[in-house]
Amino acid sequence: MTQPEPRSTAEEPWPVRVVSQKLGAWVAKLGWVWVDGQVAQISRRPGSSVVFLTLRDPSADLSLTVTAHRDVLDAGAPELAEGARVTLHAKPEFYPARGSLSLRADEIRQVGLGELLARLERLKKLLAAEGLFARERKRRLPFLPNRIGLLTGRASAAERDVLMNTRRRWPAVDFRVINVPVQGPTAVPQIIDALKVLDNDESVDVIVIARGGGSVEDLLPFSDEALCRAVSGARTPVVSAIGHETDAPLLDYVADLRASTPTDAAKRIVPDLAEERQLIESARRRLDRTVLALLDRETHRIEAWRSRPSLARPELLIEQRAADVAQLRDRAVRSLEHRVRRADDDLRHTVARLRALSPKSTLQRGYAIVQRADGHVVRAADEVKTDDLLRVRLAEGELSATVTEAPT
Amino acid sequence: MTDETLSYEQARTELAGVIERLETGGSSLEESLALWERGELLADICQRWLDGARERIEAARAARSED
Repeated sequence: MTQPEPRSTAEEPWPVRVVSQKLGAWVAKLGWVWVDGQVAQISRRPGSSVVFLTLRDPSADLSLTVTAHRDVLDAGAPELAEGARVTLHAKPEFYPARGSLSLRADEIRQVGLGELLARLERLKKLLAAEGLFARERKRRLPFLPNRIGLLTGRASAAERDVLMNTRRRWPAVDFRVINVPVQGPTAVPQIIDALKVLDNDESVDVIVIARGGGSVEDLLPFSDEALCRAVSGARTPVVSAIGHETDAPLLDYVADLRASTPTDAAKRIVPDLAEERQLIESARRRLDRTVLALLDRETHRIEAWRSRPSLARPELLIEQRAADVAQLRDRAVRSLEHRVRRADDDLRHTVARLRALSPKSTLQRGYAIVQRADGHVVRAADEVKTDDLLRVRLAEGELSATVTEAPT
Repeated sequence: MTDETLSYEQARTELAGVIERLETGGSSLEESLALWERGELLADICQRWLDGARERIEAARAARSED
């Protein structure tokens, strides 16, 4: 074989055999490795001693071809079937004849259920330690979702359970359903892709991942690490509704809400319309009763106040005062009468005293009172002049006289 | 605050005060009459509130039964 130039150029390209040989050398550099994967396909060709396996990554849409001698398979995994988890010791090989790549295994071990469960337990501890199950990470579900994203198997009982029971509780509910394989080697990557689609849909505000019951192996995709991390990273709240009451895939721990079954999920994602109506109705009745009782109480109170004499009979205000006035008038009259009576008495006494002082008794003794025409009582002779007219009062009657001679 | 903007409770509280003053006595006749007139007005305001509340309840109920 000729030694090739270290670099290939357009003028001097490498022949296929050279490239092929170089590729083979590169691939061989990886050496022997232990690989974990899931058997997607197995073909035992009759008459051939070589068995072909398609080995998938459980979490991603990637696969490799594995070749093994029938003896290798019979020694490590005689019952090997599609879907089984295997650990194998292999070396990558490049087949120049077809330019294909495969792993050649010299040891294949089927991973048993016990080992799978032990792996799950380790993964669970790891995720818990990372805080993926923490209560404070859980997002609240909307009281009434705008649109529910549903990830479930096509025409599955789980799909029917979720749709029917949710609509029964809230007929107007809106779904966006994405059907995905819920078991087998392609389940996880497809579920993760669909989850992303729903998470990016603005109208979807809660996502339900539903699957009916199955064997522990069947439910393995729902404990897949990549799926758990995708659910944990989703912005939309995720409800896990996998299997039966007793099943607890890791998805249950990482989901924002764990529903025991698809039917239970329906109960958790929407309120019961009839129940809510009843609550509102009873609240309305209580509201009515309360407000009407309040109105009645207040009405009675106002009526009672209005019927009190102080408001109902304002004339009392006047009558009271009219009575006061009458009484005062009465008192005034009485007091006036009293004073009049006293004045009367005084008068009588005065008259009596007047009478007692009367000159009549003196006149009886023969004295007379001489008065001038102007009424002046004459006490001295020089108080009169000649021809003055005088009045002379006697005990009995009076007479007139004329002064004939007055002193000069 | 004008009478139109009195709340039910304000009118009711004032009404209670008016009645108490009327019943205690000691006011002049003019004052008493003014108090009584005020009391009547306040009682009317209270009544209007209560009647209005009932009407609103009836209206809401009628609207509800149309749903």
